[in-house]
Amino acid sequence: MTTGPRAGAREPEPGDEILLCYCTMVTLGELRAACRAGQWPLRGKENTGKLCTGCVGDLLYCLRQCGVDASL
Amino acid sequence: MSSSLSALLSGTFYENGYDHRVEIIHQRDAGAHRRLESLDVALYDGNGALLATPAVDPGLEILDLGALVRGATDTRERVMVVLDARYDEAIFPYRPHHYAYFHRAGSTAAPLYYAVNATLGGVPDRVGATNINNFETYVFRQRPFAETYSLLLGCLARFVPVQAQVFAYYGSKRVARDVTLAPKCHAEIPLPAEDGGERLARVEVKALFRLLSYVVGRRAGTGDLVLFDHLFTYAK
Repeated sequence: MTTGPRAGAREPEPGDEILLCYCTMVTLGELRAACRAGQWPLRGKENTGKLCTGCVGDLLYCLRQCGVDASL
Repeated sequence: MSSSLSALLSGTFYENGYDHRVEIIHQRDAGAHRRLESLDVALYDGNGALLATPAVDPGLEILDLGALVRGATDTRERVMVVLDARYDEAIFPYRPHHYAYFHRAGSTAAPLYYAVNATLGGVPDRVGATNINNFETYVFRQRPFAETYSLLLGCLARFVPVQAQVFAYYGSKRVARDVTLAPKCHAEIPLPAEDGGERLARVEVKALFRLLSYVVGRRAGTGDLVLFDHLFTYAK
Protein backbone atom coordinates (compact mmCIF):
# COMPACT_ATOMS: atom_id res chain seq x y z
CA MET A 1 0.00 0.00 0.00
CA THR A 2 1.36 3.32 -1.00
CA THR A 3 0.61 6.46 0.89
CA GLY A 4 1.53 10.00 0.06
CA PRO A 5 0.87 12.13 -2.99
CA ARG A 6 -0.40 10.41 -6.12
CA ALA A 7 1.89 10.48 -9.12
CA GLY A 8 1.51 13.86 -10.75
CA ALA A 9 -0.36 15.34 -7.81
CA ARG A 10 0.73 18.82 -6.86
CA GLU A 11 2.44 19.35 -3.57
CA PRO A 12 0.58 21.98 -1.54
CA GLU A 13 2.04 25.42 -2.01
CA PRO A 14 3.25 27.08 1.15
CA GLY A 15 0.31 28.68 2.85
CA ASP A 16 -2.31 26.65 0.98
CA GLU A 17 -3.82 25.67 4.30
CA ILE A 18 -4.26 29.27 5.45
CA LEU A 19 -7.92 30.05 6.03
CA LEU A 20 -8.46 33.18 3.98
CA CYS A 21 -12.15 33.85 4.61
CA TYR A 22 -13.45 32.88 8.05
CA CYS A 23 -17.08 33.35 6.95
CA THR A 24 -17.14 31.17 3.82
CA MET A 25 -14.24 28.93 4.89
CA VAL A 26 -12.19 29.46 1.73
CA THR A 27 -8.54 28.55 2.06
CA LEU A 28 -5.70 30.15 0.18
CA GLY A 29 -5.15 26.86 -1.63
CA GLU A 30 -8.78 26.75 -2.80
CA LEU A 31 -8.51 30.30 -4.07
CA ARG A 32 -5.29 29.57 -5.93
CA ALA A 33 -6.76 26.43 -7.51
CA ALA A 34 -9.94 28.23 -8.54
CA CYS A 35 -7.98 31.06 -10.09
CA ARG A 36 -5.79 28.62 -12.03
CA ALA A 37 -8.94 26.94 -13.35
CA GLY A 38 -10.61 30.25 -14.15
CA GLN A 39 -13.40 29.39 -11.72
CA TRP A 40 -13.20 32.26 -9.26
CA PRO A 41 -15.48 32.98 -7.48
CA LEU A 42 -16.27 29.42 -6.55
CA ARG A 43 -19.93 28.44 -6.67
CA GLY A 44 -21.46 28.95 -3.24
CA LYS A 45 -18.52 31.07 -2.13
CA GLU A 46 -19.52 34.29 -3.87
CA ASN A 47 -19.73 36.12 -0.54
CA THR A 48 -16.07 35.53 0.24
CA GLY A 49 -14.71 38.77 1.71
CA LYS A 50 -18.13 40.44 1.80
CA LEU A 51 -19.49 39.40 5.19
CA CYS A 52 -17.27 40.30 8.12
CA THR A 53 -14.94 42.21 5.74
CA GLY A 54 -11.93 41.27 7.85
CA CYS A 55 -10.22 39.45 4.99
CA VAL A 56 -10.93 41.88 2.15
CA GLY A 57 -7.40 43.24 1.97
CA ASP A 58 -5.85 39.77 2.05
CA LEU A 59 -8.39 38.52 -0.51
CA LEU A 60 -7.64 41.31 -2.99
CA TYR A 61 -3.90 40.82 -2.51
CA CYS A 62 -4.13 37.06 -3.13
CA LEU A 63 -6.41 37.45 -6.15
CA ARG A 64 -3.97 39.92 -7.71
CA GLN A 65 -1.10 37.55 -6.95
CA CYS A 66 -3.07 34.94 -8.89
CA GLY A 67 -3.47 37.28 -11.84
CA VAL A 68 -7.10 38.22 -11.20
CA ASP A 69 -7.88 41.90 -11.72
CA ALA A 70 -9.74 42.35 -8.45
CA SER A 71 -11.10 45.46 -6.82
CA LEU A 72 -13.73 46.37 -4.24
CA MET B 1 -10.81 20.53 7.21
CA SER B 2 -14.37 19.41 7.66
CA SER B 3 -16.91 21.42 5.74
CA SER B 4 -19.18 21.34 8.79
CA LEU B 5 -16.78 23.47 10.76
CA SER B 6 -17.03 27.22 11.07
CA ALA B 7 -14.31 29.62 12.09
CA LEU B 8 -13.92 32.65 14.28
CA LEU B 9 -10.84 34.81 14.81
CA SER B 10 -11.14 36.99 17.91
CA GLY B 11 -8.65 39.08 19.75
CA THR B 12 -7.90 41.10 22.83
CA PHE B 13 -5.00 42.84 24.53
CA TYR B 14 -3.23 41.73 27.68
CA GLU B 15 -1.48 44.30 29.85
CA ASN B 16 1.04 43.35 32.49
CA GLY B 17 -0.22 43.23 36.07
CA TYR B 18 -3.81 42.39 35.26
CA ASP B 19 -5.80 39.38 36.28
CA HIS B 20 -7.43 38.83 32.89
CA ARG B 21 -9.63 35.85 32.14
CA VAL B 22 -11.52 34.89 28.99
CA GLU B 23 -14.58 32.71 29.10
CA ILE B 24 -13.91 30.57 26.04
CA ILE B 25 -17.50 29.35 25.76
CA HIS B 26 -20.18 31.63 27.14
CA GLN B 27 -23.13 29.53 25.96
CA ARG B 28 -22.14 26.50 27.97
CA ASP B 29 -24.89 23.96 28.57
CA ALA B 30 -25.33 21.90 31.71
CA GLY B 31 -23.65 18.89 30.17
CA ALA B 32 -20.78 20.99 28.84
CA HIS B 33 -21.38 19.60 25.38
CA ARG B 34 -20.70 22.97 23.86
CA ARG B 35 -17.02 23.12 23.22
CA LEU B 36 -14.80 24.31 20.46
CA GLU B 37 -13.36 21.84 17.99
CA SER B 38 -10.02 23.58 18.20
CA LEU B 39 -8.49 26.74 19.59
CA ASP B 40 -5.14 28.14 18.47
CA VAL B 41 -3.78 31.04 20.48
CA ALA B 42 -1.06 33.38 19.22
CA LEU B 43 0.64 36.26 21.06
CA TYR B 44 2.06 39.28 19.20
CA ASP B 45 4.05 42.31 20.28
CA GLY B 46 3.26 45.79 19.01
CA ASN B 47 5.59 45.42 16.02
CA GLY B 48 3.75 42.33 14.83
CA ALA B 49 6.39 39.85 15.98
CA LEU B 50 5.01 36.47 16.98
CA LEU B 51 5.96 35.96 20.61
CA ALA B 52 4.47 32.54 21.22
CA THR B 53 1.76 30.08 20.27
CA PRO B 54 0.94 28.45 23.61
CA ALA B 55 -1.16 25.31 23.49
CA VAL B 56 -4.66 25.68 24.90
CA ASP B 57 -7.19 22.94 25.54
CA PRO B 58 -10.27 23.77 23.39
CA GLY B 59 -12.44 22.26 26.11
CA LEU B 60 -11.20 24.81 28.62
CA GLU B 61 -13.94 26.94 30.16
CA ILE B 62 -11.90 29.87 31.47
CA LEU B 63 -8.57 30.92 29.95
CA ASP B 64 -6.24 32.77 32.35
CA LEU B 65 -4.49 35.22 30.02
CA GLY B 66 -2.07 36.41 32.67
CA ALA B 67 -0.76 32.93 33.34
CA LEU B 68 -0.73 32.18 29.62
CA VAL B 69 1.28 35.26 28.66
CA ARG B 70 3.65 35.06 31.63
CA GLY B 71 4.26 31.38 30.96
CA ALA B 72 4.95 31.88 27.27
CA THR B 73 6.87 35.16 27.09
CA ASP B 74 9.17 37.43 29.09
CA THR B 75 7.64 40.62 27.82
CA ARG B 76 6.07 43.24 30.05
CA GLU B 77 4.72 45.19 27.10
CA ARG B 78 1.16 45.01 25.87
CA VAL B 79 0.45 41.75 24.03
CA MET B 80 -2.17 41.15 21.36
CA VAL B 81 -3.83 37.80 22.05
CA VAL B 82 -5.42 36.18 18.99
CA LEU B 83 -7.93 33.36 19.47
CA ASP B 84 -8.42 31.25 16.33
CA ALA B 85 -11.38 28.94 16.95
CA ARG B 86 -13.07 26.22 14.95
CA TYR B 87 -16.55 25.18 15.96
CA ASP B 88 -19.43 23.04 14.80
CA GLU B 89 -22.29 25.14 13.45
CA ALA B 90 -24.74 22.52 14.70
CA ILE B 91 -23.61 23.34 18.24
CA PHE B 92 -23.24 27.10 17.79
CA PRO B 93 -25.82 28.17 15.18
CA TYR B 94 -24.43 31.71 15.14
CA ARG B 95 -21.01 31.60 16.75
CA PRO B 96 -19.41 30.95 20.11
CA HIS B 97 -19.06 34.08 22.20
CA HIS B 98 -16.01 34.83 24.28
CA TYR B 99 -16.57 37.14 27.25
CA ALA B 100 -13.80 38.39 29.48
CA TYR B 101 -13.02 39.94 32.83
CA PHE B 102 -9.99 41.81 34.07
CA HIS B 103 -8.77 43.65 37.13
CA ARG B 104 -5.36 45.01 38.04
CA ALA B 105 -3.99 43.56 41.28
CA GLY B 106 -4.31 46.07 44.11
CA SER B 107 -6.26 48.58 42.06
CA THR B 108 -9.31 50.31 43.49
CA ALA B 109 -10.75 50.53 39.99
CA ALA B 110 -13.73 48.30 39.40
CA PRO B 111 -13.24 45.03 37.52
CA LEU B 112 -14.27 45.31 33.88
CA TYR B 113 -16.27 42.80 31.89
CA TYR B 114 -16.36 42.92 28.11
CA ALA B 115 -17.16 40.99 24.95
CA VAL B 116 -14.05 39.83 23.13
CA ASN B 117 -13.88 41.45 19.71
CA ALA B 118 -14.70 39.09 16.83
CA THR B 119 -12.63 40.26 13.90
CA LEU B 120 -12.68 37.56 11.22
CA GLY B 121 -15.69 35.30 10.81
CA GLY B 122 -18.59 35.19 13.19
CA VAL B 123 -20.78 36.50 10.39
CA PRO B 124 -21.22 33.36 8.32
CA ASP B 125 -23.22 33.01 5.16
CA ARG B 126 -26.04 31.28 6.96
CA VAL B 127 -26.78 34.32 9.10
CA GLY B 128 -27.31 36.47 6.04
CA ALA B 129 -25.61 39.47 7.60
CA THR B 130 -25.56 42.44 5.27
CA ASN B 131 -24.40 45.36 7.43
CA ILE B 132 -20.83 46.43 6.92
CA ASN B 133 -18.86 46.27 10.12
CA ASN B 134 -15.63 48.03 9.25
CA PHE B 135 -17.07 51.47 10.09
CA GLU B 136 -17.40 51.67 13.85
CA THR B 137 -18.31 54.34 16.36
CA TYR B 138 -18.38 54.91 20.10
CA VAL B 139 -20.26 57.61 21.99
CA PHE B 140 -18.72 58.82 25.23
CA ARG B 141 -20.58 59.88 28.33
CA GLN B 142 -20.35 63.64 28.76
CA ARG B 143 -19.59 63.38 32.45
CA PRO B 144 -15.91 62.43 32.51
CA PHE B 145 -14.98 59.27 34.38
CA ALA B 146 -11.53 58.64 32.99
CA GLU B 147 -8.61 60.98 32.61
CA THR B 148 -7.28 59.67 29.35
CA TYR B 149 -8.97 57.93 26.46
CA SER B 150 -7.57 55.99 23.56
CA LEU B 151 -8.20 53.33 20.97
CA LEU B 152 -6.43 50.00 20.95
CA LEU B 153 -6.20 48.83 17.36
CA GLY B 154 -4.76 45.59 16.01
CA CYS B 155 -4.31 44.32 12.48
CA LEU B 156 -5.20 40.65 12.04
CA ALA B 157 -4.50 40.62 8.30
CA ARG B 158 -2.01 38.05 7.01
CA PHE B 159 -0.51 39.79 3.98
CA VAL B 160 -1.35 43.47 3.69
CA PRO B 161 -1.36 46.50 5.98
CA VAL B 162 -4.57 48.17 7.07
CA GLN B 163 -5.13 51.85 6.53
CA ALA B 164 -7.70 53.40 8.81
CA GLN B 165 -8.96 56.83 9.69
CA VAL B 166 -9.81 57.76 13.25
CA PHE B 167 -12.19 60.69 13.73
CA ALA B 168 -12.64 62.25 17.16
CA TYR B 169 -15.54 64.66 17.66
CA TYR B 170 -15.53 67.65 20.05
CA GLY B 171 -18.71 69.66 19.79
CA SER B 172 -18.92 70.62 16.11
CA LYS B 173 -15.19 70.01 15.56
CA ARG B 174 -13.81 66.85 14.01
CA VAL B 175 -10.18 65.83 14.47
CA ALA B 176 -8.92 63.25 11.95
CA ARG B 177 -5.94 60.97 12.20
CA ASP B 178 -4.64 58.39 9.71
CA VAL B 179 -3.40 55.08 11.07
CA THR B 180 -1.58 52.35 9.16
CA LEU B 181 -0.93 48.99 10.78
CA ALA B 182 1.14 46.23 9.21
CA PRO B 183 -0.03 42.63 9.64
CA LYS B 184 -0.24 41.62 13.32
CA CYS B 185 0.90 45.06 14.51
CA HIS B 186 -1.05 46.87 17.18
CA ALA B 187 -1.05 50.37 18.64
CA GLU B 188 -2.71 52.59 21.19
CA ILE B 189 -4.08 55.76 19.59
CA PRO B 190 -4.54 58.59 22.13
CA LEU B 191 -7.83 60.48 22.10
CA PRO B 192 -7.47 63.79 23.94
CA ALA B 193 -10.33 64.18 26.41
CA GLU B 194 -10.85 67.82 25.40
CA ASP B 195 -10.23 70.06 22.43
CA GLY B 196 -10.93 73.80 22.49
CA GLY B 197 -12.89 73.48 25.72
CA GLU B 198 -15.18 70.81 24.27
CA ARG B 199 -15.23 67.31 25.66
CA LEU B 200 -14.60 64.24 23.56
CA ALA B 201 -18.08 63.21 22.44
CA ARG B 202 -17.59 60.47 19.87
CA VAL B 203 -14.96 58.52 17.98
CA GLU B 204 -15.22 56.75 14.65
CA VAL B 205 -12.92 54.20 13.05
CA LYS B 206 -13.18 53.79 9.30
CA ALA B 207 -11.03 51.12 7.72
CA LEU B 208 -10.97 49.34 4.39
CA PHE B 209 -11.45 46.14 6.32
CA ARG B 210 -12.16 45.22 9.87
CA LEU B 211 -9.63 45.82 12.63
CA LEU B 212 -9.41 44.46 16.13
CA SER B 213 -10.61 47.50 18.06
CA TYR B 214 -11.38 48.59 21.61
CA VAL B 215 -12.00 51.97 23.16
CA VAL B 216 -10.27 52.39 26.52
CA GLY B 217 -10.15 54.88 29.37
CA ARG B 218 -7.48 55.13 32.03
CA ARG B 219 -7.13 56.80 35.38
CA ALA B 220 -4.54 59.54 35.69
CA GLY B 221 -1.41 58.57 37.55
CA THR B 222 -1.92 54.83 37.78
CA GLY B 223 -3.08 54.29 34.21
CA ASP B 224 -5.57 51.74 35.52
CA LEU B 225 -8.12 50.78 32.92
CA VAL B 226 -11.61 52.02 33.77
CA LEU B 227 -13.09 51.58 30.29
CA PHE B 228 -12.49 48.72 27.84
CA ASP B 229 -15.24 48.24 25.32
CA HIS B 230 -15.84 47.37 21.70
CA LEU B 231 -17.06 49.99 19.27
CA PHE B 232 -20.38 49.69 17.51
CA THR B 233 -21.00 49.15 13.83
CA TYR B 234 -21.55 52.40 12.05
CA ALA B 235 -24.96 52.46 10.42
CA LYS B 236 -26.63 55.34 8.64
